[in-house]
Amino acid sequence: MASDDHHIPNGSTTTPPDIQFEFAHHDPAIARINNGSFGSCPSSVISAQQDWQLKWLQQPDDFYFNTLKPSILKARLIIRDLINADHVEEISIVDNATTAAAIVLQHVTWSFLSSQFQPGDAAIILHYAYGAIKKSLQAYVARAGGQIIEVKLPFPVNSDEEIIQEFGKALELGRMNGRKIRLALIDHITSMPSVVIPVKELVKMCREEDVDQIFVDGAHAIGCVDIDVKDIGADYYTSNLHKWFFCPPAVAFLHCKKSDILNQLHHPVVSHEYGNGLAIESSWIGTRDYSAQLVVPEVMDFVNRFDGGIDGIKKRNHEKVVEMAIMLAKAWGTHLGVPPQMCSSMAMVGLPACLGIFSHSDGLKLRAYLRDCFKVEVPIYYREPEKGEHTPITGYARISHQVYNTVEDYYKFRDAVNKLFNDGVTCAFLSD
Amino acid sequence: MNLYLLLLLVSFVSCHQHNQKLEPLAQGTPKRRRWVVEKREKKKKKKKKKKKKREQMEDPQANGDHNHNHIPKKLKLSSPSSFISDSEIRQEFAHHQLGIARINNGSFGSCPASIIAAQKQWQLRFLQQPDDFFFNHLQNGILRSRTLITSLINADHVDEVSIVDNATTAAAIVLQHVGWAFAEGRFQKGDAVVMLHCAFQAVKKSIEAYVTRAGGSVIVVQLPFPVHSDQEIIAEFRKGLAMGKAHGRKVRLAIIDHITSMPCVVIPVRELVQICREEGVEQVFVDAAHAIGSVHVDVKEIGADFYVSNLHKWFFCPPSVAFLYCRKSPIALDLHHPVVSHEYGNGLAIESAWIGTRDYSSQLVVPDVLDFVNRFEGGIAGIRKRNHDAVVRMGELLARAWGTHLGSPPEMCPSMAMVGLPSSLRISSDDDALKLRTHLRDHFEVEVPIYYQALKDGEIGGDNWDGRVAGYARISHQVYNTVDDYLKLRDAINQLVKDGVTCNNLP
Repeated sequence: MASDDHHIPNGSTTTPPDIQFEFAHHDPAIARINNGSFGSCPSSVISAQQDWQLKWLQQPDDFYFNTLKPSILKARLIIRDLINADHVEEISIVDNATTAAAIVLQHVTWSFLSSQFQPGDAAIILHYAYGAIKKSLQAYVARAGGQIIEVKLPFPVNSDEEIIQEFGKALELGRMNGRKIRLALIDHITSMPSVVIPVKELVKMCREEDVDQIFVDGAHAIGCVDIDVKDIGADYYTSNLHKWFFCPPAVAFLHCKKSDILNQLHHPVVSHEYGNGLAIESSWIGTRDYSAQLVVPEVMDFVNRFDGGIDGIKKRNHEKVVEMAIMLAKAWGTHLGVPPQMCSSMAMVGLPACLGIFSHSDGLKLRAYLRDCFKVEVPIYYREPEKGEHTPITGYARISHQVYNTVEDYYKFRDAVNKLFNDGVTCAFLSD
Repeated sequence: MNLYLLLLLVSFVSCHQHNQKLEPLAQGTPKRRRWVVEKREKKKKKKKKKKKKREQMEDPQANGDHNHNHIPKKLKLSSPSSFISDSEIRQEFAHHQLGIARINNGSFGSCPASIIAAQKQWQLRFLQQPDDFFFNHLQNGILRSRTLITSLINADHVDEVSIVDNATTAAAIVLQHVGWAFAEGRFQKGDAVVMLHCAFQAVKKSIEAYVTRAGGSVIVVQLPFPVHSDQEIIAEFRKGLAMGKAHGRKVRLAIIDHITSMPCVVIPVRELVQICREEGVEQVFVDAAHAIGSVHVDVKEIGADFYVSNLHKWFFCPPSVAFLYCRKSPIALDLHHPVVSHEYGNGLAIESAWIGTRDYSSQLVVPDVLDFVNRFEGGIAGIRKRNHDAVVRMGELLARAWGTHLGSPPEMCPSMAMVGLPSSLRISSDDDALKLRTHLRDHFEVEVPIYYQALKDGEIGGDNWDGRVAGYARISHQVYNTVDDYLKLRDAINQLVKDGVTCNNLP
C-alpha cells in the first residue's frame, strides 16, 4: 500500500492507487511484459466504463439524445489539452490508429481519383511501419495509382542521426524524376522493432522538401512519450489511448491541424452526420458501444493519483524498462537494440543467438512457447542479418514496463531464456 | 412435497444468482477483488457440478445437495412450465429504467441481464490476458458466432457471413465497392443505384459519399404510406424502377429495405428482388437492419446478393453486432472492410474479424443469445409471433382510443406498428415530431418515436386539419413490454388532446 497522500493540481488530496487491486484481473500466473500490444486498463476505469454501459442500456434513447454527444465532447476537450492542440474541432475520437489511417488514406484515394494527385505521386513510409498501415496504403494509395516508398531504417540503431540520414535519402528518392511526395507517414514510436523516432526533425525535413502532408502514427505515444502536436508540426497525428493511457479497448484520437483539408476528411462508416465535420461524424457511426470513449475523465482522475501524474508514470516506466533491459542483456550476454534515449516504455533486448531465431515465424513460435511453458508474455522480433555478420543476434524481445509490472516479471523472463539456453533448445525444435 | 421444496429453493437461488450478476461493482473496495477471484474459482467448480446437477434435475424426486451458487442459468424441470417465467423476464430486464414506458425497441434494441453477464465474461477474458485471447480464442469465438448465424438465416456457407458493427458499416462496405467500380471504370458515369425514398438516413448519406461522389446517379423509388397491401408496394416499385431506367440508364445496385425504419412497413422483399432481376438490376442489397428476431429471414429464398441485419435490435445482443451476408460470387471476393488491418485480402469475413484492437465481446455472445431465446416457448419464432400479435393488438387499441388508424395492415407489421396520432396535435414537420417525442419522454415518461407524414402531391393542406393524420407513433413490442406501457401512451396522448396541445405550442 502506498505511503503518503499526494496532492492533485486543484489542491485536494487523494491516495495513490492500490496497484495490486487495480490490476487484480490480470492473470496472476503470467509475467505480462507486453503492455505495448494491447495495453491495460485498471479496475476503477473498467468499473466507470460499466457504469456508462449501464446508463445506455437503462434508457438508450435518452442517452443518445441527451448524454452521448456532450460526454464525447468532454473527452475531446481533455485530449486537446493533453496534446497541446489549438482547437477541439481538430480532435476526433475513433476506435484506434488503424481507423485513423483509413480516414486519412481514403482522402488520399479521392485526391487521386479526382486528379488532384497524379498517378505515380508518392507516399513515403518507414519500413517498420505497422502491418495494418502498410496494408492500408495498398488498399487506398497503391490501388488508386500512388507509389509507395519505404524508408529502410537501421536496426540495431545507435542515434537519431542514423534515422535522419536514411530518411533524407528516401525523400530524395521520392522526388526523383519530378515526382511529388503527397504524404509522409511517420511513426512516432515504431512497433516492431520499437524505436522512438525523431519525428520533429523528420517533419521539418518533409516541409523543407515540399511534402504535401505529414501523418504521424503515434499509436504507442500517449502515456508513453511527450506529445505536443504543435511542436511536432504534422498535419495529422493519431494515438491509441488504450495502449499506455489506461483506457479500455478501444479509443484513439486523430488530431487534424485546422486547414481546408480538414473539411474534406470523412469517417469511412457514413451515418446521418456525414458532412458535419470529422469529429461529429466519428462521434456517431451507428448504434455501438461508445463507453470506452467516455471514460477519459475517469482515466485522468486515475493517472493524477500517481506522483507526477502521467508524466511521472512515463518517466518511471522508461527508467524501469531500461534498467530491466540492461539487466537482461547482461544476463544473456547480448545488447539493447536501441540506446536508452531512444527507448520509450519499451525496450528491445537481444536474445542469445543460440536460440536460432531465423525467421518471423520462429519469433512467433518462441513467443507461444514462452507463453505456454514459461508463462511469460513478450513479443519477439526477428531481424534479418546483414551479409557477413558473424553469429548475429537475430531475435529481440520487446519488453514493456507499465505500473503493474514488478522486477519478478523480468526475472521470470530472464530465467526462462536461460533455461532454454542451458537445455540447448532452438526454435527449430519448437512446434508450430 | 419434494418437488415443491425444490421449486422454492430454485426460486431463491435464481434470485441470488441474478443479484450476483447484476450488482454494479463497487469501486475501490476489497470486496471487488474477492469477488473477481471467487468468481474465477466458482467457474472452475461449476463445470464439475453441472453434470451432477443435470442428473439431479432430470429426476424431480432427487433431493441431492444443492450448492446455492451453482444453479445454471437454464433450469429445465420436467413439467410444462419449463419455459422462462414472467418474473424471470422481469429480472432479465430489471436494468431498464423504471417508470419509462419503453415502446421503442426498434431504435436501439435491448439486451437481457444474462447476456450482459456473458459479455462481461468475454471482456474480462480479454483484459486478463489479451495476447492469449487474441492468438488462441478470438477467431474461434467469432467463427462460432458466424456458424450459428449461417444456420439461422439459411445461408449455404459460413464464408458468406461476416460480422460487422451494424448495418451502417455494412452499407459502407457494399457502397465503397461500388465507388471503386466507378473509379476503376467497371461502372460508367451516370450508371445508377436505386434506393427507396424512405431508406435509412445513414444509407442515403452513404450513397452520397460513395456513389454520387464517384459519378453514379441515384434513382429514388417512392413507396406509398399509409399502405394497404403488398401489391401497392410491388406496383409502385415496378413503376419507379422502370421510370428510373428510362434513357437506357444501367442500374448497378438496388438497395431495398426488408423492414423500412420510418415509417415502419414490412416490404415484400422477395418479390422486389425478383422484379430487380427481371429489370436487369445487377446487384441487390437488402438492408434488413430490423429483420432478425422480428421477421423470418431466409437469405436463399429472398435471393439478394447482400443482406444485412443488426442482432442488437431484435435479437437480444448487446451493442453492437450485425451480420452481412454476401452470396458467393466473384464480386464478394472484392469486398473489403473500410478499416484495413493486416488481414486485408483474406476475405471480408476475416478482415471484419480483426479491424485493430477493439472490444469484440458483443460478437462473441451469439451462442449465449441462442440459449436465451430457447428459454422461450417456440424459441425466436415464438417470440416473433407473440411480439407481432401483441403490437398489432396494442396498435388497434390505440387507434380506437384516438379515433385514428394503423399505417399498414397487420400482416405488414413486424414487431412494430405505425399508429396514427390525433390530427389535433398538428404535427406538421420532422421538427414537430421530434418535439412531441421529447415532450412525451420528459413529461409523460413514454419513449416512442414519432413519424411525420408529409402531404402527398395534390393533397390540400393549409389549415385544414380535420381528420388529417399527419403523425404516427411507431410502437414496438418486445418480451419485456406490458399492456401498461401502451395504456400510458394512450393516456398521454389523450391528455395532450384534452389540453388542446399542438406541436406549435410545445416548448
